[in-house]
Amino acid sequence: MTKGVVMLAQNSEYNYVEQACLCAMSIVATNPAEKVSLITNDKVPAKYKKFFDQIINIPWTENKDSSDSKSSSERWKIYHATPYDETIVLDTDMLVLQDISAWWKFLENYDLYFVSNVLTYRGETVTSDYYRKAFTANNLPNLYIGFHYFKKGERAHEFYKWVELVVNNWELFYGQFVPEHYPKNCTMDVTSAIVAKILDCDKDITNPLVKYPTFTHMKPFIQNWEHPAESWQKRVGTYLTDDLTLTIGNNIQQGIFHYVEKDFASPKILDTYYKYLETANE
Amino acid sequence: MSKGVLVFARNNSQVDYVKQAYFLAKRVEKYLKLPVSLVTDNLDYIKSNYKDYKKVFDKVITTEYTTAFTLKRYNDGSLSGKQLEFKNDTRPMAYELTPYDETLLLDSDIVIADTTFLECFNQQSDFLIYRSAYDLANFRDYSEFVHISDTSVPFYWATCVFFRKTPENKIFFDLIQHIKENWQHYNSVFQLNRTVYRNDHAFSIAIHIMNGRQEGSFAGKMPGKLFYTTDKDILCDVQGESFLFLVEKENHLGEYTPIRFKDNTVHVMNKFSLNRFIDKELAND
Repeated sequence: MTKGVVMLAQNSEYNYVEQACLCAMSIVATNPAEKVSLITNDKVPAKYKKFFDQIINIPWTENKDSSDSKSSSERWKIYHATPYDETIVLDTDMLVLQDISAWWKFLENYDLYFVSNVLTYRGETVTSDYYRKAFTANNLPNLYIGFHYFKKGERAHEFYKWVELVVNNWELFYGQFVPEHYPKNCTMDVTSAIVAKILDCDKDITNPLVKYPTFTHMKPFIQNWEHPAESWQKRVGTYLTDDLTLTIGNNIQQGIFHYVEKDFASPKILDTYYKYLETANE
Repeated sequence: MSKGVLVFARNNSQVDYVKQAYFLAKRVEKYLKLPVSLVTDNLDYIKSNYKDYKKVFDKVITTEYTTAFTLKRYNDGSLSGKQLEFKNDTRPMAYELTPYDETLLLDSDIVIADTTFLECFNQQSDFLIYRSAYDLANFRDYSEFVHISDTSVPFYWATCVFFRKTPENKIFFDLIQHIKENWQHYNSVFQLNRTVYRNDHAFSIAIHIMNGRQEGSFAGKMPGKLFYTTDKDILCDVQGESFLFLVEKENHLGEYTPIRFKDNTVHVMNKFSLNRFIDKELAND
C-alpha cells in the first residue's frame, strides 16, 4: 500500500503553488520519508520541484478561469488524481511541524477520516462557531477538510462521487441542507458535511474524542480572544528560528499549523525553510 | 521528609500582613497540623506584638528590610479603597528560604477551613498550583484569570503553591527570580502591558517556559477548589468552618448580598475586613 500527502493548488490572485511548496518543504523537514504530491496546472518553480514526489495535472479541466471557489470546486478530483492508495489531503496554507508517522497508524482504521476538532495557537480546542454558523444552525457534522484522509476503495469512492455531485449542483444541495446561514460560495467543508449527512456516515469518518490528528486553525475570531482583529498577525508575533521552530505569541507550535492568511507565507519564511533543507542535505 | 507551610508577610503603612500570617498559622495548626514558617522583614514588630510567636511559628525567617514596593489599590468593599504600597518581591525566594523538603506556600489572606491541602503531600507531582479559582460572587469578569492577557499564556494563581525541593523546582524558582529582575522585558514579550509586577503573572510565565512554551505537565493541580472573595466584598464573620460574607451585588453599586459559606478554605482578598475580623478574634483569645 502506497501512502502520501497530496495538495491541490490553483493560482488565482494568490500564489497557492508557492504555499504548497512551503508546505512540502515543511513535510520534508519533519517527515523526510513522506511522499508529497502536488496536483496543479500551474507552473511550479524549478527550485522547489525536488520536494515533490509527483506533480500531477488537474484532470478534466474544462475552464482555466481561476478563483477561490473554482479551486474549491476542483478538489473532488483529488480522489481520482492521487497516486497513492492511502492519501492525506492538506490545504496548501499549512505547515507540518512534527513527525506525523504515528497518525498514519491511526488513520489505517478508517476508509475516510476528517478532523472535527481544531486548536487555537495556545493549544486550546476551538469551541467557537464564529465561522461555522451554517454548521450549527443546520445541524451539519463539524468536519474540517483542511486535513483529511482516504483509502482508495468503495467507501471513499462513493463519498467522493457524492462530493462531485454536490459541488456541481451546490446551489440545489445547499438550499436543501443549508437554508440557515446559506453560504455565498461552494466550500468543501460544507460540501463534505452535506455528503456525510446524506450518507449518514459522520460517526464512521471522524472521532471528536481523539486528540490527534488535528491542526491549529489561525482564523482570528476563534482564538479565544476578547478583542480579535481582522488579522491574527496583528495581535501576536511570529518567530521562526533557523532550525524551524515556529513560535506564535510565546507558544511553540507543533502538529499542523494552518496559517490561513496568505501573506504569512512570506519570502523570508520560504527562504528559511529552503536554507534549512539545503544545509541538511550538505 | 520535612513538611510545612511557608507564609510571607511584609507590612505596609496600613495593612498588617503579619497579623494575617499569625491568624493563618493558628488555623493551620487546627486543620492541617503542620508547622508554619514566617518570612518577614521586621522581626522586632513580631517580638513586640505577638509574644507567643515562637509557639505559633515554627521558624521566623527574616529578609532584609527594603523600601522597594509597588503601588496597588486596596478596596474595602465596593465603595471604599486606598492606594497603598505592596511588597511582593520576595516570594520568588520561597525555594531558598523554606526550611522544609515539602512546602505549602500560602498567601497570608488564606483562611483555612478544611483539611484539603493535606492532599498535596500525597500527590506525585512535585509542583502544584491552581489554574482556576471560583469567585463566590459568580458574576464578575474573570477573563484576567484565564490568560495573563488577552493574547498571552494561561493564568495560574500563586496564592497557594505546593513544591518539593527538587532540581527542577530550583530552576523554576530561579526562573521566577530572573523574570522579576527583568520584568519590563517579560511584561513586554508576554504582552501584559502592565507596569506593576505581580507574582501570579511571573509564576504563569515561568510555568509556560518550564512547559517548553506549550501546554505541558510541569504544574500539577492543587487538590480541591480555590474559592475567593475579592476586595470589593466584605468578610463579616468566621465561626469555625462557617464564613459570612457580604458579596458585592451586580449592577447595584454599594449594595451587597449576604452569603454563608461552609467547610471550604477561602482566599479573602479584602485585607481590611479580614484584619477587622482577626482583631475581634484575638481580643476574644
